[in-house]
Amino acid sequence: MRRRTALLFTAPALLLFAVFILYPMFTMFSYAFFSWAGTARGGFVGLDNFVTLFTRAPFTTDLPRAAMNNLTFFIGLMVFQNSIGIGIAYALQSRPRIRQSLQTIYATPYLIGPIIVGYLWSLLLSPVFGPVNSALRALGLDSLAVAWLGEPSTAPWVVIGVSVWQWIGFPVLLYGAAFGGIPAELGEAARMDGATNRQVFFRVTLPLLMPAVGTMTVLTFIFAMEVFALPYAFGGSTGSPAGSIDFVSLLFYRVAFGSGATDAIGNASALAVLLFLVIFGGAFAATRLLRRYESRLVG
Amino acid sequence: MSSTARSGRLRRALAIGIAATFAASLTACAPTQSDGSDVTLTVWSWRPEDVDSYNKIFDVFEKENPGITVEFKAFKATEYNQILATGLAGSEGPDVPQVRSFGDLQPTVAAGSLVALDDDIDFSTWDPNLMATALGADDGKIYAVPLARQMWQMYYNKDIFEQEGLEVPTTWDEFIDVNQTLLDADLIPMSLGAKDSWTLPLTHEVVAASRFGGGEFAEKRVTGQTDFNDPDWVASTELFGELAKFFPKDTTGITFGDAQALFTSERAGMFPGGAADLAPLQAANPDLNIGVFQVPAAPDSPEGSGATTANWADGNFGLSSKSKHPEEALALIQWMATPEFGQMVADDIKQISAVPGVQPSDPILREMNELANASGSPYLLYSGFCGGSPCGITTWGSGLQELLLGSKDATTISKELEESVSWFTPAPAQ
Repeated sequence: MRRRTALLFTAPALLLFAVFILYPMFTMFSYAFFSWAGTARGGFVGLDNFVTLFTRAPFTTDLPRAAMNNLTFFIGLMVFQNSIGIGIAYALQSRPRIRQSLQTIYATPYLIGPIIVGYLWSLLLSPVFGPVNSALRALGLDSLAVAWLGEPSTAPWVVIGVSVWQWIGFPVLLYGAAFGGIPAELGEAARMDGATNRQVFFRVTLPLLMPAVGTMTVLTFIFAMEVFALPYAFGGSTGSPAGSIDFVSLLFYRVAFGSGATDAIGNASALAVLLFLVIFGGAFAATRLLRRYESRLVG
Repeated sequence: MSSTARSGRLRRALAIGIAATFAASLTACAPTQSDGSDVTLTVWSWRPEDVDSYNKIFDVFEKENPGITVEFKAFKATEYNQILATGLAGSEGPDVPQVRSFGDLQPTVAAGSLVALDDDIDFSTWDPNLMATALGADDGKIYAVPLARQMWQMYYNKDIFEQEGLEVPTTWDEFIDVNQTLLDADLIPMSLGAKDSWTLPLTHEVVAASRFGGGEFAEKRVTGQTDFNDPDWVASTELFGELAKFFPKDTTGITFGDAQALFTSERAGMFPGGAADLAPLQAANPDLNIGVFQVPAAPDSPEGSGATTANWADGNFGLSSKSKHPEEALALIQWMATPEFGQMVADDIKQISAVPGVQPSDPILREMNELANASGSPYLLYSGFCGGSPCGITTWGSGLQELLLGSKDATTISKELEESVSWFTPAPAQ
C-alpha cells in the first residue's frame, strides 16, 4: 500500500524526467550507431562512428587536446573554488548576523546565465576597448595589461577564474552548511587538550568536511566535463585562441553543426556517448569512494 | 452553511477555475488555421542587421502578390547552422531559408531539405563562379538562388592617407611603405581581429593570394596536382607572418567587431574586410572617408600571378522541400532571381547582387565589383575544402593564429592543414 502511494506521488516527476531527459538521451545514443546524410538517418553501422573518434581528423588532433583542457579546468576549479569556498564559509561561520546577506551576494553571479557572463567578461577584457586593462594601466600595472583572451597561456585561467567567480555561491553555501553540521563540542574538546585554532581547523574540522568536499568534487567533475556556455562565449566554437580553450563540448558543437561533413550527426553522437560514459563512470566511482569514506567516518 | 463547507466550495471553485485557464491556454498550442486566401511564407536568415531592409523589400513582393505575406526572421550568425538544421528537420520550419555555400550547403542538401531549382529558374546567364556555391556535390543540381557576391579587399581611410601623404600602393614595396609610415605615425596599419579566427584565411587571401598563385593554384589544388605543402603556399604563409608587425598589438585578443571599431574610430589606417562589411562601417561612422584597393602582387609570385580578389556567393536562398505552401514559396524564390529583387539588394542591403546585370549603386561597392571582375579567384578553402570535417577554414584559422602567436612556423601549419583535409577527394582535371 505504502509503495503504491509513493509511486503515485513520484509519478509526475518521473514522467517529466522520462520524457525530457531519458527519451532524448537514449535517442541520441541510438544516433551514434547509424550513418547520417545531414539530418536524414541512414543504415546501421555498429561501432564505426566510435572508431572514427580515434582514427580520423579532427578527432585525432582535437579530442586529446580538448580532453586535457577539460581536465585542467576541473583541477583548476577544484583548487580555487574549494580553497576560496572553504575560506569564505569559515569566515562567515563566526559572523552569523551578516552571513545571510553575504551568502546572497556571493550567489548573485550564479543567477546570470553563463553565456551572458562570458560575453560581458570578454567585453571587459578586450585589449583595446576593455575597462580592465585601462584600469590596470591607470594603476601603473602595465605589465598585467595583457590580452587575457588573446594568449593561449592566459585564456584558460580566465575561463577558470570567471567560472569560480560565477559559481562561488554554491561552495560557500554547501561548506557553510557542512560547517554548521560539525558539533562545536569537538572543537572545544580539542582546545581543552591544548590544540591551537590552526590545529583544530586542520585536524578536526577539515576531515569532517571531507564528505562535503567529496560531493563538491563529484558535482565539479560533472560540470567541468560538460561545460559549454562559458568557453563558447570566450573562444567561439573553435576555442580560440589556437584551441587553448577548446573543450569536448565545443568539439561536439563544431563537429555537429560547423562542418560540411554530411555524416556529422553520427560522429557527434558517438562523441556525446563517450563523454557521457566518462562523466557517468567518473561520478559513479567518486560517489562509491565517498560512501566508503563516510561509512568509515561514522562507523 | 458551515465554514468548512464554504471553504470546500471555494477550493473547488478555485480548482475548476485553474483547470479552465489551463485548458484555455492549451488552445494557444494548437496550430493556427489559415483562412482561405492569405498565405504566410517564412524566410529565415543569419543577418539580423538586415531585418529592416528585407521587410521593405518583401513589402514590394507582397504588393505584387496580394494574398501572400512574407515573414522575415533573423538569427545569430554563429548559431544559424544549428537552428537551420533543426528547423528544416521539424514541421514548423521556414519556407525559404537562407543557406550556406559550398560544403556548408551539403548537409542541408543531403538531408533532402531543399528542392532543386534547375527546372524552375533559368540560371544560364549567371556567373558560374557564383553558381558553384549553390550546387549539390553529388548530383550537381542547383539548390539555391545566389544572393550576393562576397569578396574581401583592403579598405583604407582616405583622410588618414592624405594626412600622412600616402597614396594607394601599386607595388608591393609601396604597400610595405604605407604600412611602415602608418606604424611610425602611431597608427595601426592593418586592423585585424585575429581572435575571430575565420578572418585570418580571408586576410591571407587579401594580402598573399598573389604569392601562392591565386586562381591557378586553386585549380591545381582542387584537381590534386599539388597540395598545401607546395612551396608557393608555404611562402605565402611566411609572407603573412612577416606582416604581423603591421597588425595590432595583441591581435589574437581582438575580435572582428573590435577591429572594425578601431577602423571606424580612425585609430587604424587600413582594414581587410568584405563587401558585406561596408554598410556596417558606414553606419558606425558616416563621416568616415572610405576607399578600397587590391593589395599589389607580392615579390616572387608565380609566373602570371598578380593582384587578385577572392570572391564567392553568399546568403543564398533555398526552397524548403517541407514547405506547406510550395507554389507560393516557389513564386517568392523565382522573384529572388529577378533584377528587381537584385537591385533592391544592391540598394537597400548594400550588397553586390549576384543577379546578372545588376550594378551596386554605392560607388565603393561598384569599385570592388569591378576589381573582382578584372581579376578574381575563388576563396579556395571555402570553395574546395569545407565539404568535410574539419572544414579547412577552421583549421587554417587556428593555424594562422599559432603563426601570429609565434608558436608554430609556416611550414608546420601548412603541413597540418594538408593533413586535416585528408577527407578531400580531388576533382578530375579539366
